[in-house]
Amino acid sequence: MISTAGPVVVTHELTKRYGEFTALDSLSFMLDRGQILGFIGPNGAGKTTTIKILVGLMRPTSGSASIAGADCVRDARRIKRLVGFMPDTFGSYDNMRVREYLDFFGAAFGIGRRERTRRIDEVLETTGSTYMRDRYVESLSHGMKQRIGVARTLLHDPDVLILDEPANGLDPQARIEMRELLLKLADMGKTLIVTSHILPELSRICNVVAIMTKGTLRAFGTLDQIMQAIRQRRTFEVQLVEAAKAPEVASAVSRGLDESEQQSVAAHDAEAVVRFQTSRSDADLADLLGGLVRANLGIAQFREVPTDLEDAFLTVTRES
Amino acid sequence: MIAIFQREFFGILRLRRAVVAIVAMALCSGLLVLARWPSEGLVDLSGSQARQVFRIFTYGMLAGVLLLAPAWPATSFVQERRRGTLALLFNTPLSKLSIYAGKLSGVLAFTGLLLVTSLPAAAACYAMGGVDLWQDLGSVALVLLVATLEYVAIGLLVSTFAGSTDAAVRTTYAAVFSLCFLTLGPHYFLQGQPGWMPFAAAWLRRVSPLPVLMHLVGQGSIGSQGLMESSSGLPEYLLASVAVTLAVMAATLLQLHSGIFDRSRSQGVITDEQSLGVRAARRVFFLVDPQRRSAGIPFWLNPVMVKEFRTRRFGRLHWILRLVAACAVVSLLTTLAATTGTVDWGVETIGGLLVIFQVLLMVLLTPSLSAGLISGERESGGWDLLRMTRLSGWQLAVGKLMSVAWTLLLVLLATLPGYIVMIAIKPVMWLQVSLVIICLLLTTLVTLAVSAAVGSLFARTTTSTVSAYVVLLAMFFGPLLVWLGRDAPFGYEVVQAALAITPAAAALSVIGMPGFEQYELIPLSWWVAAGVTAVSFGILSARIWRLMRPS
Repeated sequence: MISTAGPVVVTHELTKRYGEFTALDSLSFMLDRGQILGFIGPNGAGKTTTIKILVGLMRPTSGSASIAGADCVRDARRIKRLVGFMPDTFGSYDNMRVREYLDFFGAAFGIGRRERTRRIDEVLETTGSTYMRDRYVESLSHGMKQRIGVARTLLHDPDVLILDEPANGLDPQARIEMRELLLKLADMGKTLIVTSHILPELSRICNVVAIMTKGTLRAFGTLDQIMQAIRQRRTFEVQLVEAAKAPEVASAVSRGLDESEQQSVAAHDAEAVVRFQTSRSDADLADLLGGLVRANLGIAQFREVPTDLEDAFLTVTRES
Repeated sequence: MIAIFQREFFGILRLRRAVVAIVAMALCSGLLVLARWPSEGLVDLSGSQARQVFRIFTYGMLAGVLLLAPAWPATSFVQERRRGTLALLFNTPLSKLSIYAGKLSGVLAFTGLLLVTSLPAAAACYAMGGVDLWQDLGSVALVLLVATLEYVAIGLLVSTFAGSTDAAVRTTYAAVFSLCFLTLGPHYFLQGQPGWMPFAAAWLRRVSPLPVLMHLVGQGSIGSQGLMESSSGLPEYLLASVAVTLAVMAATLLQLHSGIFDRSRSQGVITDEQSLGVRAARRVFFLVDPQRRSAGIPFWLNPVMVKEFRTRRFGRLHWILRLVAACAVVSLLTTLAATTGTVDWGVETIGGLLVIFQVLLMVLLTPSLSAGLISGERESGGWDLLRMTRLSGWQLAVGKLMSVAWTLLLVLLATLPGYIVMIAIKPVMWLQVSLVIICLLLTTLVTLAVSAAVGSLFARTTTSTVSAYVVLLAMFFGPLLVWLGRDAPFGYEVVQAALAITPAAAALSVIGMPGFEQYELIPLSWWVAAGVTAVSFGILSARIWRLMRPS
């Protein structure tokens, strides 16, 4: 068991280069015990490279990474004990039943026969896969395989779980089940690092988010911290009664904004909506709304468009 | 059809291994001729030197066709199905016949290109004189083309029902080698006897291109036991081969329907949950019930070895028992047929036949078991999972190698009863038999080490398996090509040195097989085998060490 005090996962100036190409550029972050880190970024952002360095499958060009004080490059044996890794490929073996599959990995982790049998039953129970135990691995659906993949990572009871795209290719029901499973693991005190392209899923389970593009960490922190940083320019929507008034409202809004913000004003005739972005205070916005109402332009609604992880991701990646 | 042809043909041409195959074929055929090209300013008026070159060239080309022709078609449909592109093809207006014809012609065009690279060497043979353009070169080319068509068609058929690319490659090679070599067996034993069985065996033999080619190069008497054939059997071979090809093509077309994507998957029935009666009946019927719930891996067994046995299609205990039983029966039947069928065969010939049977079994079985030991894991994504466990590279290597070694040893042991019969007939042979068994053990070790080492060099199972077959067949049958030319063009020393490469030749020499008895191959052959094994295990260890390290 690792210490409850201090960060569990630490990377410092982690860099990976392939000749001229930099896959990972000076990545530094820390993650505390029991947290769920959502690693997001477009394809080729460096997520899998980071994960492979963390689990000791890849050597960084420079910098360092450690898990619970164990160096990811030099202390491979401890890392294997501390970390449960689920890659984006399942790594199935044909002609093998689920229980035999888990039995093999249990034996490969050096778990004794009796203890192994108990652990297999436990992890199958945790992942809700007990009914699959006599099924052949190749006969499982994608969602079932993902659950068995998680069960495999749990076999040696690791403190840190690193899951590469666990929700990839799952149907909505399986995705919900996977989300509940990951929350359950966090409740058990496991530290999780999860990569995914399905951002709404991540936003529901992660308490820390790292956004990467082109090998660089663009944003890191809790979801609230990232949202706050992005909310420096909030998006507003003015819903009109008549679409014909949209150009008039757009010019009235522009007059109330700074010159740099005026470019963001857009009239959407089809929706009878005017959208704009501003960093003005709520008091300034109250004046703006008052002006619009007084001008009798047929304002039906004035609302702030909520920012979610998807917006945060798009904003950060666009800026980069 | 044109679109499929273009995609198939150019798709193969873009592969690096295709370029390697073309260059290797051109180089090998060129070197075969160059090795016997007259170095002095003398003209060989008899044309015997040209015939010798032609003989080597023909066998070399047949080896090329046997090794290279099945590799590409074997993976064609199975790869498309696994990638999902076959479903897209089925969804186009193209008919099944067009898809099949496009694939067949694409692969044939590439194999044809391989054969074309040998044209300069063939022209050189012709230029030396003594070889007739149509009678010799034309006939050989015709046989090779028909054989190529047959093997490509077989590869495509296997590809439609195989579950994975490596299974497809293994099954195709097994089918092709069986058609080429095993079809000769019944005729060898039954020739010259009355009844319909020798007649059927003679026709079965016609499916193989080997007798025709041997006749065309002037070696038709080998294995004929003094019963000379006046005809080369070319028309019969063409008829048999075309019939097999057409049947295979029809079977492939029948396989190409939507059911190819709709295969039932076992839901994992477990005998332990059946009634007592069912459990008892299954125990009696199966001896080792394949559907019983297996026990956990005990601490004293290497988990990788157990995993290898369990994941292998025929690796479970009930299959191994069947394999061992079949080998024992074949071994005894071979001995029985040889001892009762032909009174003038000596014990030495019987022993020679047994050795050939065992070596063939080892050379054909081993690459399919051991070439993909590492590449299979890398291809399926299992290698990274294994690296994340506490298993060391040593444990991985030992577990994987032992899983193959035990299987091979069991098969080898099962084929030994034939020798017991031999010792019963001629007790003084026990020393020879002991030496033969040592040679066979070394053969097993060499085939295992070489195919595992060669296979570990590649990331794809198909490439690993094909490469291992090429290297092993070159090692075991290359010296036999030299032996075939033992009086001319090769002298005694050259043949002895070539035969020392393979412990199988040493076994044939020890047992006193006619044609091998004059060579002294022990202990040189044992040293060579030990050296090759050590180097191969060294390569394998280096590869595993490299692959286990962080990349």
